Amino acid sequence: MLLDVAGLTVTARVGDADVPIVRDAGFTVAPGRILGIVGESGAGKSTIARVVAGLLPPGFRIASGSVTFEGEDLPAASAARRRELLGRRIAFIPQAPLSSLNPVVSVGRQFAEHLAHARVPRAERRGVAARALAEVRLDDSEALLARYPFQLSGGMCQRVLIAMAFATNPALIVADEPTTALDVTVQAQILELLGDLNRDLGTAIVMITHNMGVVAGLCSRVLVMYAGEIVEQGPVEQIFENPQHPYTWSLLRSIPRVDALRHERLRSIEGLAPDLLHPPAGCRFHPRCPFRIEKCFTDEPRLQEVAPDQLAACWVTMARARKEMGADDLIDIRPGAGSGVRKGELTD
Amino acid sequence: MAEGVLQQEPAPMKAGAKTLVRVENVIKHFPAGLGQSVKAVDGVSFEIVEGETLGLVGESGCGKSTLARLVTQLLPVTSGKIFINDIEVTKLRGEKLRQQRRQMQMIFQDPFASLDPRMTVGDIIAEPLVNFGVMRGRKRSERVQELLKIVGLNPNFNNRYPHEFSGGQRQRIGIARALALNPKLVVCDEAISALDVSIQAQIVNLLEDLQREFKLTYLFIAHDLSVVRHISDRVMVMYLGKIVEVADSAGTYTSPKHPYTKALLSAIPVPDPRIQRGKRLVELSGEIPSPLNPPSGCRFHTRCPIARVPTPCAEVEPPLEEKARGHLAACHFSQDV
Ligand SMILES: Nc1ncnc2c1ncn2[C@@H]1O[C@H](COP(=O)(O)OP(=O)(O)OP(=O)(O)O)[C@@H](O)[C@H]1O
Ligand SMILES: Nc1ncnc2c1ncn2[C@@H]1O[C@H](COP(=O)(O)OP(=O)(O)OP(=O)(O)O)[C@@H](O)[C@H]1O
Ligand code: SF4
Ligand SMILES: [Mg+2]
Ligand SMILES: [Mg+2]
Repeated sequence: MLLDVAGLTVTARVGDADVPIVRDAGFTVAPGRILGIVGESGAGKSTIARVVAGLLPPGFRIASGSVTFEGEDLPAASAARRRELLGRRIAFIPQAPLSSLNPVVSVGRQFAEHLAHARVPRAERRGVAARALAEVRLDDSEALLARYPFQLSGGMCQRVLIAMAFATNPALIVADEPTTALDVTVQAQILELLGDLNRDLGTAIVMITHNMGVVAGLCSRVLVMYAGEIVEQGPVEQIFENPQHPYTWSLLRSIPRVDALRHERLRSIEGLAPDLLHPPAGCRFHPRCPFRIEKCFTDEPRLQEVAPDQLAACWVTMARARKEMGADDLIDIRPGAGSGVRKGELTD
Repeated sequence: MAEGVLQQEPAPMKAGAKTLVRVENVIKHFPAGLGQSVKAVDGVSFEIVEGETLGLVGESGCGKSTLARLVTQLLPVTSGKIFINDIEVTKLRGEKLRQQRRQMQMIFQDPFASLDPRMTVGDIIAEPLVNFGVMRGRKRSERVQELLKIVGLNPNFNNRYPHEFSGGQRQRIGIARALALNPKLVVCDEAISALDVSIQAQIVNLLEDLQREFKLTYLFIAHDLSVVRHISDRVMVMYLGKIVEVADSAGTYTSPKHPYTKALLSAIPVPDPRIQRGKRLVELSGEIPSPLNPPSGCRFHTRCPIARVPTPCAEVEPPLEEKARGHLAACHFSQDV
C-alpha cells in the first residue's frame, strides 16, 4: 500500500479544550490509484490532507492512529525527513492558491526554491519549470516567472501550484480543491493532465473537491466525510448510483443541474453542521437526517459493508429508507423518520 | 452537453426597471515592465438593472476579478466611465466615494487572503457597521449573530479567529460581512466555489431570498455554469479582456452565438461517472494567448474551430452586436456556431 491511514484521530486546541476534528478515519491508497474525498464544508477534509503532507497547523495534534507512506510511519518521522518527503515523494496542492504563495517573492524564485528542495539540479530548474507551466497552459513562462503572485489571477496562482506539485514527479499528489478557481475548459485540461500523469507515470492522487463532476470523471474510489468522520466509502460508480448513507444521498441530490430552471429553489440539507466541541450523541447526522430511527439518537453507527467493497456508517441505510420510507418520492426533505414533502403534496 | 440544456425558458421580465450600474468603454491596463502592459479589461460596456443578477463567466485570467474591482471602485480605471445610480463613480474621491462604497459590497475570491487574521470573526463582520456608524452595542452584536446564522454558521463562533475555520466556513464569513450593511449591489467573485453543494444551494437560495426582499442587485462571477444559469437573469461571457456574448441565461445556454461560449458549455463536467468517464475532456485546446499581446482581429481566432483566417477573423475585430432579440455576441460567423 502506498498510503495507509488507520484509526486516525486529530484534535485542535480551542480555548482550553482539545476538539476532535477528525475522528477514527481509515482508508488506503494503492499505488497509481485516484481517491476522491468529498463532504461537508468543515468536515475535516483539509485536515486529513495536512496530516499526510505533514503540515498540521499549530494547536493540531494526532491523538491516535497511524499514517504509513511507503511503509514509513509518517508522524514518527523527523522534521527533516518530512521536509524531504514533501516535495520529492509527496506533493501537496493547498486549498488557498493566493495565500499559499509568498506575495513578496517572484513566482520564478518560489518555483526554483521548490525544485532545489526536491534536488532538481540547478541547470535543469528553468527548463523543468517552463515545461510544467506549459502543461498547465501557462504560457510565456519567462514573463510569468518574473511576476509576483498578486499580479496573477486566482486561477493562474492555482495552476502555478499544480505545476510545482507534479514537476518533481512525486509518487503521491494530495490536491486540496485544486480547480476551484478554474473555468471549465482549463479545468478539463488540468483533469486530463492529472489523468495522464496517473496513467503514464502511475502517480497516485488524493483529490479533495466539492465538484461531483470532477469526482465522477477522475476518481476510482471516493470517501464521504461528515462532521469529522468518514460516513461512507466505496467505488465511485457505486456511490453515485447507490449511495447508502443518507448524508451522501442528500449531498448528491443537492447538485445543481445545468438544465434547472432559473430561480428554481435548489435542494439543500436542512439544519446546521454540528459543533464539534459538543457533537450530537448517536449518529452525528441524526439531527438532520430524514430517515432516522430511535436507535440513531443514542447509538453510534460504525462503518460496515453495505455492498461489495462499499462501507457506510448508518443504522438505516438507503436500501431500507427506499423500501420502507419511500425515500425516492421525497422532493423536499426535512429532519425526521421518512419525513419530507412528496411529489404532488402542497408546499407553501 | 446534457440534453436538458435545450429546454426553453421565458425571457426575464425586467422591463421598466431602473439601471443601477452602467459601464462605458472601460479599460484597465496593468504596467508589466519593458513598456508592456497587461490588457486585463480592454474596452467593456454593459448595464445591470436594479434587482437583476448578471452572471459573469470566462476563462481563468480573462479579467473577471479585475472588472469586479473596477465596478466596486477598489481599483481605478485606466479609462472609461462607470455610473452607479447615474452617479459617475469613476470621478468620485474621498468621503463621497466612501459613502458610495457603502452601497456596493464585494465577496472576494480567496477567503483566506481577504480576512484579517488578527480580528475575531465577530469584529470582521461588524467592521462595516462600525465604519459607517450603523448600530451600536447590543444591537450590533445581535446583528452579527443574525448574520452568522443567515450564512449557516454557529452564532457562538463570533469570538473565534479566521484561522480556526475551514475554507468554506471562511467564505461564509466573507458573505456575512458583505451583507451586513444591506448593500444595493453585491459583487460575488467566486463566492461559493469553496462550499459543498448543499451549502452552495443554501447560499444561493439565501441570495435569491434577499434579492426578492431588498431588491438587491448581483454581479455573480463563478466557474460553475450550473449555478450561474440558475441564479442569473442574464449571463455575460468574457474572453481575454473583452465581452464576447451577453444574453438572458436561457439564450446563452440553449443557443450560444459565440464559439467560445459553446466550448465552455461542452466542457461542463457531468456528475455521473458513466457519462463523464467516456467524455472527451478537452474541447478547447491551444495556448491561451497572452494578455500582453492579444491576437489581432478577433481575440479568439487562434483557438476558434470555425475561424476563417486571415480574413476576416484575424484582421477585423468583430463588434459586440445584437444577433437575436436581446442576444449580443461578437463573432463574424455567429450563425455557424
Ligand atoms: N486552528 C483551528 N482551531 C480550531 N478549529 C479549527 C482550526 N482550523 C480548522 N478548524 C475546524 O476544523 C474543522 C475541519 O476543518 P477542515 O479545514 O479540515 O475542513 P474541510 O473539510 O477542509 O472544509 P472545507 O470544505 O470548508 O475546506 C472545521 O470545522 C474547522 O472549524
Ligand atoms: N495587480 C496586477 N498587476 C498586474 N497584472 C494583473 C494584476 N491583477 C491582475 N492582473 C492580470 O490581469 C489579468 C486578469 O486577471 P483577473 O484576476 O481579472 O482574471 P480572472 O478573470 O478573475 O481570472 P480567474 O478566473 O483565474 O480568477 C491576468 O492576466 C492577471 O495576470
Ligand atoms: S469572429 Fe471568427 S475567430 Fe472570432 S469567434 Fe467568430 S469565427 Fe471565431
Ligand atoms: Mg478544506
Ligand atoms: Mg478571478
